[in-house]
Amino acid sequence: MTSAVAASPARDASSGVPVLQLAAVRAGYGRIDVLHGIDLDLRPGEVFALLGPNGAGKSTTLAVSSGQITPTSGGLFLCGRDVTGVSPDALARAGVCLIPEGRGIFPNLTVAENLRMATYTGRAYHHVLDLAFAQFPRLGERRKQTAGTLSGGEQQMLSMARALATEPAVLLIDELSMGLAPIIVEELYDHVRRIAASGLSILIVEQFAHEILGLADRAGIMLHGRLLHTGPPASIADELADAYLGADHAAPRVDSSQ
Amino acid sequence: MGLLEIEEVSVQFGGLLAVDDASISVPAGCVTGLIGPNGAGKTTLFNVITGLQAPSGGRVVLDDVEVTRRRPYRRARLGIARTFQRLEAFGSLTARENVLVALEMRRRWATARYDCGKIADELLERVGIAHVAETRVEALPTGSARLVELARALATDPKVLLLDEPSSGLDEQETDALGVLLHELTAGGLAVLLVEHDMPLVMEACSYISVLDFGRVIARGTPREIQADPSVQRAYLGTAKAAS
Amino acid sequence: MSQRWSNLLVWAGTIAFVVLVSKTAWAGNPVNGTSLTNLVVLALPLAGIIAMAASGLVVVYTTTGIFNFAQGAIGMFLAYVDWELTVHHGWPQLFVLPLVVLVIAPLLGIGLDRAIMRHLQGKALVVQLSVTVGLMFAFIGLANMLWNQNTAHSMPALFQGEGFHIGQVLLTWHRFITIVVAVALAIGLRILLFQTRIGIAMRAVVDNRDLAALGGARSSVLSSFAWALGCSLAALAGILLAPETADMSTTTLTFLIITAFAAAVVGRLRSLPLTYLGALILALATQWSGSFLRFSERWTNVPDALPTIMLFIVLLLLPRAEIQFARIGQVRRVERVSSVRDAAIGMLALLVFIVVMSMFVLSNTDTTNLSRFALGMCTALVALSLVPLTGWAGQVSLAPLAFAGIGAVAYARLGGAHGSIWAVFLAALVTVPVGALFAFPAMRLQGLYLALATLAFAAMVEEVFYSQPFAIGAGERSVQPVHLLGIDFTSKRAFLILVTVVFGLCGIGIVALRRSAFGRRLVALRDSEAASVTVGVNVLETKLAVFALSAGIAGFAGAFFAMNAGTLNGPTGFEMIAGLPIVLALVIGGVGFVAGALFAGIFGLSLVIIQSDWHISLWIGLTYLAPGLAVLGIIQNPSGAVVPIGEGFARLLPWRHDARRDYEEMTAATAEPEVGGLGLERPFEEADVLLVDRELGISNEVPRAVAAARSG
Repeated sequence: MTSAVAASPARDASSGVPVLQLAAVRAGYGRIDVLHGIDLDLRPGEVFALLGPNGAGKSTTLAVSSGQITPTSGGLFLCGRDVTGVSPDALARAGVCLIPEGRGIFPNLTVAENLRMATYTGRAYHHVLDLAFAQFPRLGERRKQTAGTLSGGEQQMLSMARALATEPAVLLIDELSMGLAPIIVEELYDHVRRIAASGLSILIVEQFAHEILGLADRAGIMLHGRLLHTGPPASIADELADAYLGADHAAPRVDSSQ
Repeated sequence: MGLLEIEEVSVQFGGLLAVDDASISVPAGCVTGLIGPNGAGKTTLFNVITGLQAPSGGRVVLDDVEVTRRRPYRRARLGIARTFQRLEAFGSLTARENVLVALEMRRRWATARYDCGKIADELLERVGIAHVAETRVEALPTGSARLVELARALATDPKVLLLDEPSSGLDEQETDALGVLLHELTAGGLAVLLVEHDMPLVMEACSYISVLDFGRVIARGTPREIQADPSVQRAYLGTAKAAS
Repeated sequence: MSQRWSNLLVWAGTIAFVVLVSKTAWAGNPVNGTSLTNLVVLALPLAGIIAMAASGLVVVYTTTGIFNFAQGAIGMFLAYVDWELTVHHGWPQLFVLPLVVLVIAPLLGIGLDRAIMRHLQGKALVVQLSVTVGLMFAFIGLANMLWNQNTAHSMPALFQGEGFHIGQVLLTWHRFITIVVAVALAIGLRILLFQTRIGIAMRAVVDNRDLAALGGARSSVLSSFAWALGCSLAALAGILLAPETADMSTTTLTFLIITAFAAAVVGRLRSLPLTYLGALILALATQWSGSFLRFSERWTNVPDALPTIMLFIVLLLLPRAEIQFARIGQVRRVERVSSVRDAAIGMLALLVFIVVMSMFVLSNTDTTNLSRFALGMCTALVALSLVPLTGWAGQVSLAPLAFAGIGAVAYARLGGAHGSIWAVFLAALVTVPVGALFAFPAMRLQGLYLALATLAFAAMVEEVFYSQPFAIGAGERSVQPVHLLGIDFTSKRAFLILVTVVFGLCGIGIVALRRSAFGRRLVALRDSEAASVTVGVNVLETKLAVFALSAGIAGFAGAFFAMNAGTLNGPTGFEMIAGLPIVLALVIGGVGFVAGALFAGIFGLSLVIIQSDWHISLWIGLTYLAPGLAVLGIIQNPSGAVVPIGEGFARLLPWRHDARRDYEEMTAATAEPEVGGLGLERPFEEADVLLVDRELGISNEVPRAVAAARSG
């Protein structure tokens, strides 16, 4: 489990104040409870990988972290300040940036217009464009193209570029690999590796576990709305197949009638 | 030959091939698993089988009758029932009324006469939610609402039951009960197609499993074969595992 | 039927309709260069005005998701403000026009957004529609109060109607400016939406509202801006239109909006270029009928119906809606479905009340008030027709009174002239197939589009149906109350009691229906169409049944309307605009409840009484204003006023233990956790500090410095 994170985040002084912290968070959609008490802290400059099968609550954890869902109990802290219940646009302006699952783009806007939407956090438009096109030159070539007509990988790049252009303090990435061919996923993760090297704090949710364990500082496995097995990636790897495919469970029943 | 045959079904959304030439056979009397990572096309395939989504190619055959072009309600009357991953219970009706709606529809095409109220109570009892029969479903926790959907699907007296992540929102006890219920149902000759992320449940309950990735069936076999299959591990865990 | 075939059918029908109408109504004017130039020159300014109003609708709808029925009324109101300042106070138009369009209109828009519209996000469609319909009435009412409609108001055209000739046609400067403004607006909106950040953000919201918020765009700023822009466009359209109408009638100016609805629907409520195209086509069609067609006798009113006919056709050409999946929404307030016994007791109490009142409070010679009460009960009966349709099945209909009108005519024609009891049932029977026909567009159209189609239908019935010789024709038709069990209900008191009994029986029937298989199926279909079909529900059959049932009840109610009125005279009493307050009042009362229908009846009754008995000039506008103000109640309580009233009342009944228990559970659930004793009985911890921080709103400003220090 995580180092005991109590209601008072400031006490955990060993590694400085966590950039982002979820304390005993319970949350869900309407009546549907998804998270049953999540304690998670993201330390400055680290990459934390949140792994687990479908429906474990990973995306909900990010939705809480970005303010899209207010926890029913527990709290969300940003740099030690309680931001529980703060609206997603306010959190975005405060430096929390989510790259949502699927494609975090506006399909009917051009590449440049998509980047214009990143100026709400206070950057100048030309600054945003420079930053984005320096990181992803391919986007520069397609600046006037409608985002919906980009390839899946390029859309994901645009989504990342839009996020990075806001110069966030915390980057939340949800299933970057969703529906993309492995070779493109690898390319995208090269970008993530580079971003991580620049010192940004990243909370990343993935199913493709092994892609990400290589670049994460810490990782955790989620199951049934709870966070299990937090620790260095090496210690996590062995637990994964079990969590995903239930390999170590009782021998499967073979129907005798077959 | 399965009771339900999905033959070379493809679904195209704009430029995206959500289901790509998928063939799955669902035999009577056992649970067939359908697993795969997020976005692999499992729910889309369910929508094709129940007629909520028209396929761009392929056939759906139920009991030797092709149903690919039938309206959804016709397929329901032929014996295809399902639950939904994102809850589609009738929220403003009570749990009992949810089941009654299905029973009262079935009474119009079933040959045998029966007492809807009595069967509704039995079904709620069977899935274990009799105590909330008179509660409106939108006031129920997810797990119970899922069981309402299950009872509602069973109320149509189906030949084939499609379950889309039935265990999400259930606690461990309820999940165990679900496993037992699946046993009972298949023992009675029902064909079940199960989409599920709770692997212990899948491995426990299924006789055969098909694995879907990027809309394609990349593996099929018994639970043991699937667990040992490197392409399945790759689909779930990414490329690095296969390389190591 | 496949999409292509049904589209083909609508196109063929449309062309056949246009050809047929053109042929029969051909006025014989020559079609040549001059007359065609004339046509275009007249159509362009009209197209410009329609496009302005429609653009406002589209901008507001795409950005906020709310379809603004009041767009036309806002334009009308602001045109009157402009009239007041220029004509009445003599300020120069050159100063007033920018003042109204650029200052007053945006302020009004922002105010509306802050006070009302923002609270409608995520509410049921019928609630959203009712609020903007109510707003429309409020503006009409306010205008009627401020500017006496018995005296003519006329707004001079810009440049006093001077102009220049194109060929032989005079194009006034006013119309020329209208065209120029419309074109300039098209360019301006294009620049706004594609070049400015706020415009791009408005388009981004259409693509993905949540993502826009994640990027830091404030949705509240965007919606205020959209409403401000929408009101400006409404004002511009209204002010430019006003001089083209003879006396600036509040309703004429308001209902220009129907044509704008059609233009906006051409653009699917999204595309501004298509909206402009739609406006052009509609304007050309309007001028075509004006220049080349002549309608007389039974077809006299067709030109007035033209916008709604066009709206109807455009709606039918929309692509078929997909099967609807349920949305995970907020938990609605848990409402109890009444038992038949409780309904019967309630209806008995109502009957006793009416009997006692008519015996002891009203004298039998006071026919005016007895007749008003009967009208109230008839209104309640019409509202009742929407309870299964809109309240349970979720199909929004704005045409209940049109069906009542058809029923009234059927009664008059099929034996009502001598009070045959069979005529009452025939009236219901005749309206059933008309209503059932609506199930077919309802298979294609969802939500808002269906509501607009019913609105268009109501207007078409008003303009075209009653003037037919087989219906009422030019004169009037008199009817008799029914004879039943040897009683003739010609006495107003007896008639009032009869209508009350009829309403009571129907109400009990409706409650019983909700508890039947059919009632459950309707609610199921509303809650999740996808799940309904997978348990074997035939959607077409179910929609046919509920539309037929609703029309039948309305037709039945229409027969009693006719009896109460004694004579039928054209569309009097059944106008489209008279039907809207019934829908509105039902929504205020509670659209899923029989008691809501009764509320609608009482609401209508009180309006009639207040309007005619309080001879104060201030109340002239009240017919319109009251429904408008009542919408504020909807925002407070979207499931209807009768719910809390009913719950409160039920707790007082000795046998309703369940109601008292529900109440206790609810109050227990909503009780706030105790904050008291902080720092006294338990230590004041850091978590409490943070709590206080949050209460004070300090936490919104998260120090970015931490992040900066880290990277630096």
